[in-house]
Amino acid sequence: MKQILVLLTACFLAVNIYSQSNVNPDISLIGTFNTFTNNVKETPEYGKLNFETPSMELYVDGYLNPYSRATANIAFEEGEFHLEEMYAQILRGLPLDMQIKAGKYLVGFGKINTIHPHAWQFIQRPLFHQVFFGDEGFNDIGATFSFILPTETFYSNLDLGILKGDGLRSTHSHEHESETESDHINLNSPIFISRLSAFFDLDDYTNLEIGLNSSYGAHSKMNFNTLGDSSAEPTVKTLNYLYGGIDFKLKYKPNSYTALTIQGEGLMNSRDVFRQGDIGVNIPIEKSEKINTFGAFILVDYFFSKQFSIGAKYDFTFGIVGDEREFNTSSNDDKNKTHGISGWLGYYPIEETLALRLGVQNLSFKCDDRTQRDSETTVTLQMLFSLGPHKAHPF
Amino acid sequence: MKKIIISAIIFLFSTITFANIKVVTTTTVIYDLVKEIGKEKVKVDYLCRGDQDPHFLEILPSYMLKLRNADVVFKIGLGLELWLQQLIDGSRNDKLKLIDLSTDIEKKEVPTGKIDASQGDIHPYGNPHYWLDPENAKKMAKQITEVLSDLSPDNSAYFQKNFTDFITKLDSKINEWKTKLNPVKGKPILTFHKSWVYFADRFGLKIAGQVEPKPGIPPTPSHNAELISEIKRSNIKLILMENYYSDNAPNQLSKATGVKVVKVANAVYGQSGISSYIQMIDSIVNSLSNNL
Repeated sequence: MKQILVLLTACFLAVNIYSQSNVNPDISLIGTFNTFTNNVKETPEYGKLNFETPSMELYVDGYLNPYSRATANIAFEEGEFHLEEMYAQILRGLPLDMQIKAGKYLVGFGKINTIHPHAWQFIQRPLFHQVFFGDEGFNDIGATFSFILPTETFYSNLDLGILKGDGLRSTHSHEHESETESDHINLNSPIFISRLSAFFDLDDYTNLEIGLNSSYGAHSKMNFNTLGDSSAEPTVKTLNYLYGGIDFKLKYKPNSYTALTIQGEGLMNSRDVFRQGDIGVNIPIEKSEKINTFGAFILVDYFFSKQFSIGAKYDFTFGIVGDEREFNTSSNDDKNKTHGISGWLGYYPIEETLALRLGVQNLSFKCDDRTQRDSETTVTLQMLFSLGPHKAHPF
Repeated sequence: MKKIIISAIIFLFSTITFANIKVVTTTTVIYDLVKEIGKEKVKVDYLCRGDQDPHFLEILPSYMLKLRNADVVFKIGLGLELWLQQLIDGSRNDKLKLIDLSTDIEKKEVPTGKIDASQGDIHPYGNPHYWLDPENAKKMAKQITEVLSDLSPDNSAYFQKNFTDFITKLDSKINEWKTKLNPVKGKPILTFHKSWVYFADRFGLKIAGQVEPKPGIPPTPSHNAELISEIKRSNIKLILMENYYSDNAPNQLSKATGVKVVKVANAVYGQSGISSYIQMIDSIVNSLSNNL
């Protein structure tokens, strides 16, 4: 926290000191303010107009030299500062026209994950992101190596990355009913990601991008009592995961004033989880088991009159959204499901400098143990502003 | 074997000698000028279509692919193509030359003092719509000739001849356009966006205001009301606008006052039948002389 404040201060001082220089980085600030109400009776927000603490993202971005850029994004969310992203990119001059991105950043798994929420057409993060990536998305420390593939008639790209893995691990609870401190072993093992994408100009007004994504690695390392004998030495086991993903974005933009976007993403999850079996000698036998689950969304967004957009999204994911996740251990997200339907109306009075969005999301839950859980509807009014030269978002 | 090697060497040299210069332009106006100068010695492509607003171009990977294979990219400059650097970075083409065609242009409306977003989309280095003055097109063509000659010195004389031919043709058209617009000289018009100052100054038109209250800011009812008064007071007969803008607000003004709304292409291929710079200016001049 202290370090981030020092960094923030240094940014402003640097701008001041070098204000006459033409080598200043671009500095921009995105502000977000949400008000909402819901119909969840057991929550204090039920039926009231609730005001969230405003959030902010401060971007500092610029060239380091002719070959590389650096970007920092300091976020203020839920009353706290944190470093959302900080990375450097080598853009040119490397063999095979490779680009390297290194630091802390939103990982290129799918299209939506790398785009900051203020630039989404919708308000709430896709449900499968919340279950499989966490509330902040797939954000990690590492390096990604990017290659343009030699396809002459269309653009295609391959990204290969190695990451610390904390981004996924830290989003999930490391506790389960019988777990003690010694059950969980510190895991220092990188994870790997890849993304293959292709972009097509279908005609002058229609573009299509499709992508295939994967991520593999160990998500946990634990002591297992495989004999169910409290006096036996535990066995150390590493729990692995494999994510496979597919995404597409189709956009038809006949003029400056209208655009129709159809976009979808899906994720297949195959991972080892902790399970307790029958009683062994004197305690339950502990074992690992592979679960296979998935999540996906599809949306339609129609931009009209240059200033308005209207859209709808259908979401599905294994797991109960909003619950504490037990990703690595006694997860039951192979049994429970969440469905979501959302709609939105966006108003952009002047380009992207200011936006107002009204969104409604309905979530319904299906629990394997037949627990009845009422559906939840949330209505959100969001105001966004963008101050300063924020870089255009890619397709 | 010897024959094969000799053939390969000949083929290699012939490829080098006759290899086209690969050019990408940000707009179709520059595209046409490059074609006029380079003709078959260049392979040229453009990014922003003629019916698109060049201020805003989506960052599409296919544009990066065009730039990836190019030797040189020509831009209008003066902050018009803020999207270009992202495309160049994405192309990973570290040999790409970037040429700003505004360097020899006498800039208009260069802001003085502090500028900020309260003034709308102000271009800090001056109004970038200079290509609408045919005299500036001559300067652009001259710079293109120099750059192509640098890239392919063997073809320098060829480019120079094409340049001279183009200037001759353009000079003759400029006289024709001046004659056509002479009767409407000094007459006030409205424009949608603040993009016609170079054209108006060249041909003696008087711009009395814009439909946009400030550059890049959508029309508002209160500004429309002011314009209605101005149209009546100054006896304004015509609103000149690019065909990629919405004509809702100009049509409201037309209904209220009878002012004519004239939509024109300000780029090559901006509408059917316009496939060259000369045809584009022809079309604008004819629209004005027929409607003013």
